[in-house]
Amino acid sequence: MNSAGQTNISRRMRVFLSLSAILVLVFSVRLIDFQIVRAEQISQLSYEKRAVARTIPAIRGDIIDANGTILATTVYRYDINAAPAMVGPVERVIDGATQVTSVEQVAAELARILQEDVATLLPKLTGTSNYVNLKKRVDADTHRQVVELGIPWIFSDAFQNRLYPNGAVAGNLIGFVGTDGKALAGIERQFNACLAGVDGQERFETGVDGIRIPASAVVTQEVSHGRDVVLTIDASLQYQAQQILASEVERLDADWASAVVIEVKTGRIVLAAEAPSVDPNDPGKSPPEERGARAFQFAYEPGSTMKSLTAATAIDLGFANMGTRVSAPDSIRIFDSTIIDSFSHDTMQLTLAGVLRYSSNVGTIMIAQNIPASSRYDYMLRFGLGKASEVGFEGETSGVLNDYRDWDGVTNMTTTFGQGLSTSSVQMTSAYQALANSGVRLNPVLVAGCRDENGEMTSIPKSTATQVVSAQTAQEVVLMLEEVVEDGAIGRATSVPGYRSAGKTGTAEIPEGSGYGDYFATSFLGMAPSEDPQYAIGVMVYKPKQVHTNSQAAVTAYQKILSQVLLTNRISPSTSVSPDIPTEW
Amino acid sequence: MNSLRKSRVSAPVVMILVTGFVAVSLLHLLLTILTSQSVYELSDLKREKRELETTSQILSEEVSSLASNQNLLNTASRLGMVANTNPVFLRLTDQAVLGQPLPAPIASAQSTNLVANSAMIIESTQISQVTVPASTTEPVAIPLEPVVSSSLIPASPTR
Repeated sequence: MNSAGQTNISRRMRVFLSLSAILVLVFSVRLIDFQIVRAEQISQLSYEKRAVARTIPAIRGDIIDANGTILATTVYRYDINAAPAMVGPVERVIDGATQVTSVEQVAAELARILQEDVATLLPKLTGTSNYVNLKKRVDADTHRQVVELGIPWIFSDAFQNRLYPNGAVAGNLIGFVGTDGKALAGIERQFNACLAGVDGQERFETGVDGIRIPASAVVTQEVSHGRDVVLTIDASLQYQAQQILASEVERLDADWASAVVIEVKTGRIVLAAEAPSVDPNDPGKSPPEERGARAFQFAYEPGSTMKSLTAATAIDLGFANMGTRVSAPDSIRIFDSTIIDSFSHDTMQLTLAGVLRYSSNVGTIMIAQNIPASSRYDYMLRFGLGKASEVGFEGETSGVLNDYRDWDGVTNMTTTFGQGLSTSSVQMTSAYQALANSGVRLNPVLVAGCRDENGEMTSIPKSTATQVVSAQTAQEVVLMLEEVVEDGAIGRATSVPGYRSAGKTGTAEIPEGSGYGDYFATSFLGMAPSEDPQYAIGVMVYKPKQVHTNSQAAVTAYQKILSQVLLTNRISPSTSVSPDIPTEW
Repeated sequence: MNSLRKSRVSAPVVMILVTGFVAVSLLHLLLTILTSQSVYELSDLKREKRELETTSQILSEEVSSLASNQNLLNTASRLGMVANTNPVFLRLTDQAVLGQPLPAPIASAQSTNLVANSAMIIESTQISQVTVPASTTEPVAIPLEPVVSSSLIPASPTR
């Protein structure tokens, strides 16, 4: 018994141990397979199930004015969507009690918030689809109200959207972006490299409940947010100028009007306004021709405002001075053409100052006819004509200034009073900035630079200074232009009480076909205060129908804008009086 | 004799190791529990941050609307204000008046905003003007507080 029994136990033990050994072997093989052979593959599969990849969107930078006013910024907008397949009554717990709201009632609530018609909303909520858009790009407040309704079958997608808080203020300069966020015009497009950032990428792990596991995030691409573009303009002045121009365009029944103001001592453009203007929040409301910046992009024959530059050239080259006398009839024969003054008169005994005051075409020709064309051409180039300004605004015109060797005999003379060439408003105002700044032309600046989050500025435009005419010449021209404002029939309307100012009228014909049309581009350019000019100003009104025979159309806007510029910048009224300069002899 | 000494020395070491192991395990467990709780707290805080950012955006847009030039002009016009195109300054040092004081040209005042702004989502409170009949000789009481509509943001009490 003992022997037989021990044998049985021993055999059972061996069987048990053998089975155990086999089991351990199987488990060991599996363990080695999981832990060593396929360890990396399994780990990767597990990570991929837990890991989530996410794009960290870069936020586009702001566009701000010289005083920090935000003109363009980035906000979030939301598309409100529904899943019709899931649509049903909504259960809400109110004061501890569950209340069921019917689909029709929920649709009415949605319609009220989304400002839609229930009749158009309800059909969208029926069907078997899992996606239907109810409204695109609602603001954050509306989105929050929708979320607070607690509807389980309503979803939303967030988007970055461009917001222009001041609407059309500087809209023609700022430009706009498309619904896809792509910059389409103006500063937005020109400085896209500064404004646009670079999206980041990160991966992190989540638990079963979707909660992010701490310290699991791995940033594979650092996000780089966009930087800010800082403009030189004053948004408040820009608004006032646009308001004034819009009023004048309406009053004069003009096609459009523009104004440019440049800080004389720095070349900074304080405002570059126009009317009509575009609201970048909704550029589609404006016709294509009103979405650009005409002050930079539109070239016109400057007309009589050119006479100031001709006078400066004549004085600087020693061909004339303020008192140079001419006997100017109201017409003059140049080759086979007759050039006339804007008004008929007997022969006038004018000084150069008088030529400018009465804006005599004939007198200007008589003063300038001995100046070599090459010299006048050279001065025009130095005044900044014939090439786009240093601002380099997108689509900026260089105007038309043909080489003097291509001028015929008539063009040689018409260019002295602003015909036979074309310029932009910025070019002409910049030329007047040179006259106001003791003959030194500074490159006009519209964008002060690109500013990062630490306040460091890059892309700062280089400052260039060109001595176009001598300080003495420039001063004499400014004094002569004072006569236009103080005694000129039209110019005196630009006067701001208490201030000395100087300026010149311009009434340019507009080419149509092979000749000129019935309407004019009327302008007024000048500077103030005359004794120490701080601002150069140019206003142009294009094709005014109500007042179209002389530059009277531009003076009202000029005077109002000038006064606001002086007031806003706390420029003290003049304490001296202008010298009495003879205009006739 | 040697084996007895060895067992006496190793017993405290084993006790320390076991206690240390248990303590570390308990600490690890505690930290795991705390971390798990923090994960949910962190998630809630991030959600709250998003909500606050949204609130900030909503308020910023409203402030931008109220601060826009268009709103300021509309408000000023409603108050009967007109822009004076004649700058005059008072020099504090000698109280000299610089410039030529002239009344604002009401006839040419631009009272309507002509510069579009479709981003304006809110406008300032309309304040009722206090009008004084020409024949009135009695002083007219000026309300201590501006008259405001309760549904809108009140105007500043500054006068």
